[in-house]
Amino acid sequence: MSDSVIGRKGAVRLPSYVFLLFPAVAFILIMYAYPFILSFVKSFELDGAFSTANYKKAVDLYYKDITFTFLVTLFNSTLATLLGVLLSVYFRLNDSFISRTLIKLYRIPIFIPFVVVAQMMNSFLAPHGILNLFLGKVGLVNLDNPLQLFNFAGLSFGFAWKLIPFTVMIIFGGFQMIDNSYIEAARSAGAKLHQIIIKILIPMNSSSILVALVLVYSQIVGTFTLPYMLIGGKIPTTITVDIAHRVNYYRDFGVANALGVFSYIMVIVTAVYYLKMNMRDAKISHPQG
Amino acid sequence: MRKSLIILLVLLLTAGLVFAGGKKEAGKIVLMTAGDTNMLAIQQNVLGPQFAAKNPGTGLISVHTGPGNAGSQRIYEKLLAESESKKEVWDIDVAIVHEIFMKWAMDKDLLLPYAKENDSWKYVTSPFAKNTLGVNIEGYAIPMFHSQTAIAYNPQFVKNPPKTYAELEKWVKENPGKFGYNGVKGGASGVSFVVGWVYWKTGRYDKLAITGPVEQSEIASWEGAYKALEDFNQNVTYTAGNVGTLDALNRGEIWMGPVWVDMFFTFMKEGKLNPETRMILPDPGMPGQPMYYVIPKKAANPELAKKYIAYATSPEVQGKEIVEKFNWYPGIDGSFLEGKVPPEVYKKIYSDVTPADLQKKGLSFPLADYHTAMLESYEKWVRK
Repeated sequence: MSDSVIGRKGAVRLPSYVFLLFPAVAFILIMYAYPFILSFVKSFELDGAFSTANYKKAVDLYYKDITFTFLVTLFNSTLATLLGVLLSVYFRLNDSFISRTLIKLYRIPIFIPFVVVAQMMNSFLAPHGILNLFLGKVGLVNLDNPLQLFNFAGLSFGFAWKLIPFTVMIIFGGFQMIDNSYIEAARSAGAKLHQIIIKILIPMNSSSILVALVLVYSQIVGTFTLPYMLIGGKIPTTITVDIAHRVNYYRDFGVANALGVFSYIMVIVTAVYYLKMNMRDAKISHPQG
Repeated sequence: MRKSLIILLVLLLTAGLVFAGGKKEAGKIVLMTAGDTNMLAIQQNVLGPQFAAKNPGTGLISVHTGPGNAGSQRIYEKLLAESESKKEVWDIDVAIVHEIFMKWAMDKDLLLPYAKENDSWKYVTSPFAKNTLGVNIEGYAIPMFHSQTAIAYNPQFVKNPPKTYAELEKWVKENPGKFGYNGVKGGASGVSFVVGWVYWKTGRYDKLAITGPVEQSEIASWEGAYKALEDFNQNVTYTAGNVGTLDALNRGEIWMGPVWVDMFFTFMKEGKLNPETRMILPDPGMPGQPMYYVIPKKAANPELAKKYIAYATSPEVQGKEIVEKFNWYPGIDGSFLEGKVPPEVYKKIYSDVTPADLQKKGLSFPLADYHTAMLESYEKWVRK
């Protein structure tokens, strides 16, 4: 019955390319899949036995933080993508000295690590930081009662500063692939600017916009340094800060893993979508495969 | 271009092969330290070279694992891994660790009982060298220094600083937003403030930090203390970490906040803190902690490690480097430092927080289980 899979001598015969795949697959299994599954399993373990106590504690103590993390992520990935689209449209349609200079400069924040961004935001956004002092000098803010930005607002500012260039890089790249003739054709048919953007540029580039959204979203869920250095011990704070706290102060990997699972849940929707899209693209470019 | 790339690759590969062996040179001490970067600086740039100059043929390789408990935890995991893999000779000769490490390591029997036969044991009088977080560690560790927390304040705005936690509570109500700290997730100065708060509200310091026993009913009785802290927090500015509190004081955003004494002096010395800023240790006191020198059980060079620690805890080094240069309180008994430290340094370090203050109000962190419970209670009951 199983003759087709098992050869005459009883040995399993695998196609030869399996050996070529082996190093890559083994690496992924050992370095990514194993820890991922382990963290999931361990989140259901307390003193060696199966238990949901870790989840109970995680929800009990951190439901505010879980909600906060989700809102921060949702808001900031939407913001970064929207502004990314707008800036990319500007870069694509406007050819001036300013846009050319900006195109050269905008990538800089991508190469600045989050820890440096966090320190910058710290001195920039502090109650008597650069921003408030500037607004104070101009007369917009009273320094005895300055803007408090070590919260959702400041965190969002930090994420925007760091991640908009990233979304622009991806989306602008997509826009550059759209041939000028489409835009010119639309223009000669009488399309207005907003029509060109909404009916030509965005639909033709929707896949890279979604990729940008997905990548930014999963980055924000996992960012530790920026929230830790900006809002740290405040209530609420992000899950990543809580995970570090559980591990550093309690050596409690159970609850830390349970919190981790909440962040997996947050990204899994986008991850599945991203994979599906990749497979669809692969099918389109290799219909036979 | 391509040629130089190939040469570079070959060099990298050779370097990889040379270092991959990881064979240890005799006479080199491998030291791992937790703590802030100043902990690495003192070992790598100060004590290591000094020791090597005095003992030709020796040297120090220092590794830094990072601040807070997380740094100690990395050292613990390294030792635990070596112990569990049944290695005969371990990589680390000397480690510098926090209090909580001692509990973890003593539980798993990872340390060498070296301290009592060490040359500098005779200078050690601190109770922290006998017992830490309720764990008996006598003979396994020598304190490198002692660090204390206190409330720093800006005398320009705070003419009469509160002398007790009760006065502080009142002051914060009258001056909303002008007291700042970092909660319990942003660094140990905030943790220390909260622990002091619980000591004050319960009035049971002895039970919580020294005698025990650990009881669930005790922990359950703290709800009121934490609810009061939640109220207190409504008029508080949260800062971004230990350094965040000092920065906020310096920028005048807050007028008062809990700080580590050594960081306070170091910031002062480097010109990063308003020189007018002062400190006070409020009643009933706030906790402090030492960092310890320990030797792993199967260190490769235990004799050299002992010699190094004896040097690092000698009165000369403790006076000149620990106190004068790095602004910590000494790990050994202060009376042995007389004449080793210039009087003005002594005066500066002990002017706001006097030796008598330290004696009376320099408390210890609670027993390990109570410590965990205090942090978790904060998350449970302080919800706003």
